[in-house]
Amino acid sequence: MKHLTKLSTIAAATGLGALLATGVTGCTQQQQEQQQAKGAFVFIEETAVGKYKIINEFPAEETRIVLKKLDGSEDFLNQAQLDALIKEEAAKIDDGTSELTKENPQASQGMGLGSTIMASMAGAMLGAWIGNKLFGNQNYQNNRKAGYKSPSTYSKSKKSFNKPRSTSSKKGGFFGGKKSSSRSGGFFGG
Amino acid sequence: MLNLQKTTPLDTDYLESLGFVWHTDSDETSYISDELLVLSEAEAEAYYEATNTLYDMVVEAAEHVVENNLFHEIGIPFNLVDVIKESWENDVHWHLYGRFDLAGGIDGTPIKLLEFNADTPTALFETAILQWAMLKQDGLEESSQFNALYEALIDNFKRLVTLQEDVSDFEERYDGWDFLFTSVKGNSEEENTVRLLQHIATEAGYQTEFAYIDDIEFSAEEGISYNDKNYELWFKLIPWEDIALEESDLAMLLTNIIKNQKAIIFNPAYTLLFQSKGLLKILWDLFPGHPLLLETSFEPLDGQKQVKKPVFGREGGSVSILDEEANAIESVEGDYDNHKMVYQAYTELATDSQGQSYQAGVFYAYEACGLGFRKGGRILNNMSKFVGHVVQITPI
Repeated sequence: MKHLTKLSTIAAATGLGALLATGVTGCTQQQQEQQQAKGAFVFIEETAVGKYKIINEFPAEETRIVLKKLDGSEDFLNQAQLDALIKEEAAKIDDGTSELTKENPQASQGMGLGSTIMASMAGAMLGAWIGNKLFGNQNYQNNRKAGYKSPSTYSKSKKSFNKPRSTSSKKGGFFGGKKSSSRSGGFFGG
Repeated sequence: MLNLQKTTPLDTDYLESLGFVWHTDSDETSYISDELLVLSEAEAEAYYEATNTLYDMVVEAAEHVVENNLFHEIGIPFNLVDVIKESWENDVHWHLYGRFDLAGGIDGTPIKLLEFNADTPTALFETAILQWAMLKQDGLEESSQFNALYEALIDNFKRLVTLQEDVSDFEERYDGWDFLFTSVKGNSEEENTVRLLQHIATEAGYQTEFAYIDDIEFSAEEGISYNDKNYELWFKLIPWEDIALEESDLAMLLTNIIKNQKAIIFNPAYTLLFQSKGLLKILWDLFPGHPLLLETSFEPLDGQKQVKKPVFGREGGSVSILDEEANAIESVEGDYDNHKMVYQAYTELATDSQGQSYQAGVFYAYEACGLGFRKGGRILNNMSKFVGHVVQITPI
């Protein structure tokens, strides 16, 4: 039956897993500041031993990275782990061994974890201090796409981080004094 | 016997961090039951099939109302008839989601339609999120639920643009239309339900914003605006009948906004046809004796126990259970006594060993997609509890 499902399945396919971890309020607060999302929820999947791809990503108040390992288990990366990975990647960028800045990396199976995170929006935000090493680099711009599991993930992710488009006898103030009833719903048992 | 499974109650701090703040009822008891109802695969499947069948029937009944001009008969306020017709005629007015309340389906009892909350359904947060949180907390990640509600909403949000089952070209066709989400100020349950929907729409790929209804400006020529920005898409968790009865200027403005194609409003006005309990009578006229329906009439039913309820109402308000002679044997007071009433044949809800009655709520978003339960007295009111479920998969 199509709609019988498991948490492990649904959490990987949608933002539900992130929502269960941090809540909807954390995610909706970003709405007011959508133009400058401060962080991102990123789902990364291990596609082969030591190789990773981004499967989903969207803007959020706080950065959280969920890692789905080959054995199916899931992990949150904490700030210390992230900092360490970014630092490591920064060193690789400096000595030219990072997959992100190589001209033709072997990235079809995914990249290392540090490179994958840096390819994500979260990486771009977390690693702002190494941003100038990356953003001017054409190889980085090309290789970022390789970090994403499908091209649509990349374009969706890009779209959700872009600024919203703006457009412009009005009447307002409706229901100003009303407090509507609380739990609506099924009424009658019967 | 109902098969119930104990769980560890979710911590209230955690619930609040999720945005779920209505976890405790006014008598200080938890709104979320610490038991899960265990269903068989066949029971889940039967809810799925029944709900899909019922939706088709409801659409047919609404078409009958529109064609035969029966709006007044089912209690639709006259100042919404135009906007209902307008929304019914054009596919862009896509039904985002609704919730069928069903009796039976567990403990060997037949599934019966009690009503369809098609306009402003709540219990969304509980069904789509909390049931999973309960399983996660107890390490039951590999257990199954009839619950694809979260994903189904992502897809159905995309269908507001693609207008067909296939949503794969959503990104191509979405032209950056701005989507505004709205509730009335001062009700955290409604507000957070709306914010959850906004969250899901954002995940689907929309540019979204939230505003309270009294901060929004409406104009027949310019459409819907907030902070000087125009919104082409508007979701409001405010019942259409409240707009009609309490803010008739707004009803007129929204009618003109839709006629002038300045904005699309969700759920569409025609969902009020589905929502009216008067439609239960039309359904019985069109499908008399159908196994999923209970006999319903605008007059008291002869010689049988029945439930009298207003065509529009909330939280069991103004609902009475009547005996065979139409004398009230149990009532909940409410503000809806002036509404038109329907009389629906009584059906026994499944009960647990404490005598609590269980009612299923099956969400519909393009198809049946998620199940949750509520338990309480025989008339479920605002003290009823939410009950999660788990589906026991039988090994092949």
